[in-house]
Amino acid sequence: MTDDKKSAGIVRRDFLKTTGAAALGLGVTGFPAVLRAQPASVKVGLIHPVSGFIAFSGNQCREGALMAIADINAAGGIKSMGGAQLEAMLGDSQGKPDIGAAEVAKMTEAGVNSIVAGYASSISLATSQEAAKTNTPHVVDVGVSDKIVTRGLPNTFRFGPGYGKIAEFAVDNLDTINKAAGSPAKTAMIIHEESLFGTGTANLLSQKLPEKGIEVIEVIKHANPTRDFTNIVLQIKAKKPDLIIPANYYNEYVLLARTMRQQRVEAKGIYSVLGGAASNYKFVKEFPEAAEYIMDCNHWFNPKSDVALQRKAAAEAKGLVYTYEVFLAYNAVLGLADAFERAGSTDKDAVNEALSTSTMDMSYMPYGPTKMEGGQNQGAQPVNTQVLNGDIEVIFPKEFASADAVFPMK
Amino acid sequence: MRQLVILGIVFALIGLAPFVIASEFWLNLVIMTLYAALLGQAWNILGGFGGQFSFGHAAYFGTGAYTVAVLQVQLGVNPWLGLVAGGLMAVVVAAGIGFSTFRYGLRGSYFALVTLAFAEVLRILSNSVDFTGAGVGILIPLDQGAANFQFVSKQGFFWVIWLMALAAFTVVWWLGNSRFGAQLMAVRDNEDAARALGVSAFRVKMGAIMLSGLFSGLAGVFYAQYFLYLDPYIAYGPAISIESLLVPIIGGMGTLFGPLLGAVGLHLISELTRELIGDLPGISLVLYGILLVIMVLFMPRGLAGLVNRLRPKSAATGARHA
Repeated sequence: MTDDKKSAGIVRRDFLKTTGAAALGLGVTGFPAVLRAQPASVKVGLIHPVSGFIAFSGNQCREGALMAIADINAAGGIKSMGGAQLEAMLGDSQGKPDIGAAEVAKMTEAGVNSIVAGYASSISLATSQEAAKTNTPHVVDVGVSDKIVTRGLPNTFRFGPGYGKIAEFAVDNLDTINKAAGSPAKTAMIIHEESLFGTGTANLLSQKLPEKGIEVIEVIKHANPTRDFTNIVLQIKAKKPDLIIPANYYNEYVLLARTMRQQRVEAKGIYSVLGGAASNYKFVKEFPEAAEYIMDCNHWFNPKSDVALQRKAAAEAKGLVYTYEVFLAYNAVLGLADAFERAGSTDKDAVNEALSTSTMDMSYMPYGPTKMEGGQNQGAQPVNTQVLNGDIEVIFPKEFASADAVFPMK
Repeated sequence: MRQLVILGIVFALIGLAPFVIASEFWLNLVIMTLYAALLGQAWNILGGFGGQFSFGHAAYFGTGAYTVAVLQVQLGVNPWLGLVAGGLMAVVVAAGIGFSTFRYGLRGSYFALVTLAFAEVLRILSNSVDFTGAGVGILIPLDQGAANFQFVSKQGFFWVIWLMALAAFTVVWWLGNSRFGAQLMAVRDNEDAARALGVSAFRVKMGAIMLSGLFSGLAGVFYAQYFLYLDPYIAYGPAISIESLLVPIIGGMGTLFGPLLGAVGLHLISELTRELIGDLPGISLVLYGILLVIMVLFMPRGLAGLVNRLRPKSAATGARHA
């Protein structure tokens, strides 16, 4: 700490020596007065697992959030605060909740005004709780556990949908798609990863699918990482379910889909819920045969929105794969910026109040009107996508659909 | 006795932290360092003093953590009672593992592998049964207050972990000066010779593993109350087992202050690497790994060994016997 103080002092002294004289000179020569009244920047902490086993998703989140900050700053910053610029503070949770919480504490000390975190639900639970201790506004970008927004934390908000909504939507739409095709699917197998995301999804689907006349004949849990799905796929072949429902992270999803293709598993449909790869352009591009006809219920943008398509093009121009992590983190920063704009200050209570009353226009997403209840945007919902002809199409709800569902698979 | 005085002075100095550190971040760093020192000292009792290298200390940590969480969430038991129950349950699990391994004479790599297997079994079990929340994990409701073992400020947590660590270090000092400790070290150095001298190796090792389990379990209870969320990977995953053994290996196995030095060293390196190159994903971990390899290569006796080497010869000779 002492060293930090020393170095900070030297830097400050040198800085003052050189820039003080320069500023004086500029003042005398009549340089625009606005330079002397630059509004303080608004610090946004971005905490994601940019290293560790979910680093790909963490980096995608970080890139999406940074894109939003750059766009907001380029458009004039927070206008109600004199054009204050957003300033990113970067943190790496390494995929661990305790490190995520420590990053929040560190950023709070450094004067962060708000936090966007943390991709995984377990990390989001820890970061939002730590931020709650100082009432720092915290927007969860991707974490879908309903527990995140049902603990009564006044500083925690989510613009995207949570598990409950997603599972309900997935089951209802599967029922609709199935009935529209004459109800060919009567049995299902669920293959899920073992953490909160996969297990929670599997539990919800196991309860709700029988209500729609689809019997869950087997639920198979696998570890993270799993590098050989042969045995699981052989079990699927033996049971011959009409529907295969995977709920796992990207790598496992890809391996499972490829193994099913190699083993020539025949099912009427593969229907993922929050599938790690099913709504991912990288998967579709690299393994087009394994990906074809896979349906997913996931976060997605509105394919009929020009704004959404422009953002997708901008992300791809930067070399990014436009995954849900990118646009959900982007939206989280937009939601925060909108709150700062309406609060007109960085006062934490005011920003939290602005977030809780947010009615931000999110027509670039397939959502209803934004309405916060207990920190959760009630308008948020997922969509159904399907890989068709090497592209990802929205097939449901109809008002956002870019193609018709192909079910059963050809 | 000299070491006890030094121990008292060291912990008294650490105890000044809440009074001189205003920053929550730095206080958190001290708390996490003490927590790592507690984990490391727990392992050191069995591994450093007893010579029984465990790769599965997560079994005790996770049991302590889940006990306090499950009792609180499922049965509404106050977490302070859960603290006692967590420690005791960890002792029971340690006794079970100890009995089933020492009874059949498992040593060295066989013992290490079996402990790893036990931790994995517990991880899979906690991932499968409902009362632990299975893969979804278990969230302790946020209800801040000292009565709920959820302090509003970090100072409360500091004093809890300070006391836990002080208790662990005092027990280890006692080990270095007691008949039981002498028997334990005799078993470590040559089990057959110790037996020939009338030492009951089984009884001594059982005592060590139960003591070790107790402090790992207490660390688990602390973790659960500090972060209020557990899942099977956090509680029983290999990361905890690795941290438990890395701390004393870096600091100095079989020494009183080794785990403290190791915890300070590891946390400082971790923070420094993150501060220096934190914005480049993963690079800080690479540097962290390289520094660890260098330390293990050039300091086989850990940081405590380095301290001894730097001290005058007469003092170092005295310290080695401690």
